[in-house]
Amino acid sequence: MSNFNFPFTRRRFLQGSGAAAVALTFGGRNTFAQEKKLNVYNWDTYIGDTTLQTFSESTGIEVQYDLYANLEEMFAKFQAGNPGYDIIFPSDYMIETMIAAGMLEELDRSRIPNFANVDEAFLNPSFDPGCKYNAPYFWGSVGIGYRKSKVGEVDSWSALFDSDKHSGRMAMLADQRFVMGVALLYLGFSANTKNPEEINAARDLLIKTKKHLKGFVPDSGQDMLISGDIDLVMEWNGDILKVMEEDDDLTYVIPKEGTVIWVDGLSIPKGAPNIDHAYAFVNHVMDAKVNAEIANTIHYATTNKAARAFVAEADLNNPAIYAPDEVVAKSEALADVGDALPLYDAAWTEIQAA
Amino acid sequence: MVRDRSNPLDYTRKTWMRMSMGLTFLFLYFPIVSLIAFSFNNSKRNITWQGFTLRYYEKAFDNAQLHEAFLNSLIVAGISTTVSTILGTMLGLSLHRFRFPAQGPYEGMVHLPIVIPEICMAVAMVAFFATINMPLGLTTITVSHIAFSIPFVAVVIRARMAGFDRSLEEASYDLGANQWQTFWNVTFPYMKPGMIAGALLAFTLSLDDFVITFFTSGPGSTTFPIKIYSMVRFSVTPEVNAASTVLIVLTLALTVIALVIQSRSQAK
Amino acid sequence: MDSWRKNKLAFAVLALPPTAWLVLFFTVPLLIMWLYSFAERGPQGQIYLAVNFANYVRAIEWIHLGIIWKSIWIAAITTAITFAIGFPLAMGIAFAPARWKNILLLLVILPFWTNLLIRTYAWIAVLRTRGFLNFGLEWMHEKLSAFSALIGLPDVMGEFQALELLYNQKAVVIGLVYVYLPFLVLPIYATLEKLDKSYLEASLDLGAGHWRTLFSVTIPLALPGIISGCLLAFILSMGTFLTPALLGGTDSEMIGNLIARQFSSSRDWPFGSALSFLLLYMTFIILWVRASLAGRREEPI
Repeated sequence: MSNFNFPFTRRRFLQGSGAAAVALTFGGRNTFAQEKKLNVYNWDTYIGDTTLQTFSESTGIEVQYDLYANLEEMFAKFQAGNPGYDIIFPSDYMIETMIAAGMLEELDRSRIPNFANVDEAFLNPSFDPGCKYNAPYFWGSVGIGYRKSKVGEVDSWSALFDSDKHSGRMAMLADQRFVMGVALLYLGFSANTKNPEEINAARDLLIKTKKHLKGFVPDSGQDMLISGDIDLVMEWNGDILKVMEEDDDLTYVIPKEGTVIWVDGLSIPKGAPNIDHAYAFVNHVMDAKVNAEIANTIHYATTNKAARAFVAEADLNNPAIYAPDEVVAKSEALADVGDALPLYDAAWTEIQAA
Repeated sequence: MVRDRSNPLDYTRKTWMRMSMGLTFLFLYFPIVSLIAFSFNNSKRNITWQGFTLRYYEKAFDNAQLHEAFLNSLIVAGISTTVSTILGTMLGLSLHRFRFPAQGPYEGMVHLPIVIPEICMAVAMVAFFATINMPLGLTTITVSHIAFSIPFVAVVIRARMAGFDRSLEEASYDLGANQWQTFWNVTFPYMKPGMIAGALLAFTLSLDDFVITFFTSGPGSTTFPIKIYSMVRFSVTPEVNAASTVLIVLTLALTVIALVIQSRSQAK
Repeated sequence: MDSWRKNKLAFAVLALPPTAWLVLFFTVPLLIMWLYSFAERGPQGQIYLAVNFANYVRAIEWIHLGIIWKSIWIAAITTAITFAIGFPLAMGIAFAPARWKNILLLLVILPFWTNLLIRTYAWIAVLRTRGFLNFGLEWMHEKLSAFSALIGLPDVMGEFQALELLYNQKAVVIGLVYVYLPFLVLPIYATLEKLDKSYLEASLDLGAGHWRTLFSVTIPLALPGIISGCLLAFILSMGTFLTPALLGGTDSEMIGNLIARQFSSSRDWPFGSALSFLLLYMTFIILWVRASLAGRREEPI
């Protein structure tokens, strides 16, 4: 990254002495230049039980699998240069950001024959027109998880935004873009608006809503829901799905106003040390059977049309996994908002401080 | 002569002191005990008790990634504790002992790693390692851990040395000991409890650090906290509790062994 | 305290290695951040180096000052409570029989070998509406009502109301006290442990009570450790972000959360650096003042 070249006059000195001193002190295990290796960087539990094994068996490539818990942290690391990964799994807006920042390799389709398996609905996303830099992986949504016996039927975001019926029994995600995005959609604006007035309107709506919320919670909404701390929560579909399996009284809905959906892709970051192996991996994951095995393990919706033939029937018919088309049509994926991001940040700070 | 059964300074024997310590330990252990208890819970969540199981221990033991993360964490914490205890003690001692120009700013500077928001230091480290072209991995994690542990050790050592009676050293010189002998036989034994406290702190900090570790890690250097953070993203399962329990037991065993060896060598 | 000139060799041997390590692996990286704090944010969060004070101007807007003030308050309350709990504990360990000392010390540290995140989640399980604490209270309430019904009293207790212990500032303070207790206990313990007990005995022999001895002898003698411990607890809780994020309510955002957000979802490293440095300048001044005060105090000796 050119932005990271500092005008340090002592830079060369540091390069030599610093690195040498440390290399002498510790041996280090940073040998990723070995033969037949692949460094994969992913979320935890976001791959099939046997995916890595079948890949190694068929290609002889050993996979080094590392985890991140947060896309933004992953991005922050790449901002200082690729630490040595060959495959990453960014989402929609992050793909757009990484393309703009010149961090992703353009994919050579001729090396990914299984790309043909992708559902054409996912082939031309706004964040990466023509899917030049990402191979679509899985997708999902953010919606309302709730307890039927306490709340009744919910079909609109108004249950969260325009009602004090469940005051103190509700929570929202702590993710500024998703929460602001949903508020914007509810107000009839785009989830990716750069218009300060619309952003402020969403801010005011959230400040009004805030006094009825228990909190903005980082990924623990489903636990609060199943433990009975709250009755209504804005959460990811996958998280709510897991608690639905344990408690029949819980359910998930994508409100009729539409929602923010996410689509993850496989990408090869610039500077990947084992680019050939990376292509082999992308192709492997897009194989219909391999992909279906992943889908049947993680229970998210696959973008792979050919794989659906092998996906469990119950999952395919579950509207919490494969959202109905008419809802998806009203939904939006997050995009990179560039210079408008500080506006979102300022709004979010005011929401938190209000 | 029949003396009062207890020394008046045996505060630990007094009921009020025991009560207060008991309450504090209750506060410290209530969450930990509930955490350990729920690692045996036969349910996917830590909410209600569903019966006893060892299933999650089996799962944790079968998890090869978890093993590697354990090992990485112990390697990093071991090296970082050793180096930072030595360097931190030197720093604490020199701050305690010497007056030198620009002491105020110097003290501010060396204590900054304590003060700085972790995320800021993390980003600074990753930018720095990128600048010097150093590949990220266990080495960079360890180097960073040492950097933020040094001042913590120094603070403890300095607090400890504040009560040191310099006349003991003078007596040692008067008896003909040289500087090194005096340090080794007089100053060092006095300092030792401070070093143990400092080392415990450094070990704890290293074992628990997520933010700086995450940013300075590269392929193949996933540590225990990194693994845990990514597991917990999809809620806290008893498997996470089981893994944490194993980590407590393992580090406890290592520490007890170290303490026993230490007391044996002292007894000789 | 000696002048460094008195023993240049010893000073060099002691001070150089840790200084070198910290300068190379901390100060130099920090300088990079310092440069960032004057930089400009690119559309994707890139950093364009410049000389620009806009980030600092933004950092001292009222809303951010308000968050800093809230953080100072929470940190101060946390420190006070931590001291109230930690000092007796440190004293208890320091005056315990020798063979107990290491065991007690280990007991203090042991909970902290569990990951911070896991510990915090454990607190959630304890404090939430349907958590262990409320279960315990409900159980006691039931028994008490049954008892009062048994002896013929009217039902004065009413329905059990679960306490709202989680997702507010109180929960944040409890979590912070829990996390930073050892940082306060260890330095205090280290000073109390080798404190010359004869001063305390003298005080008691001369007729002062235990409380008087505590306040006029023990605490003044242990002051260096107390100051170190309290400073650690205060400064660390100022910069925290995980505890308020998990245990706090909708208005618990502290300066640490704001900073962390700049390095993640808001992707504004220059502003994040400026906020961090604002925090650093403040603490730097506190440490400097403390160093010069300590220097003056020790000078006459």
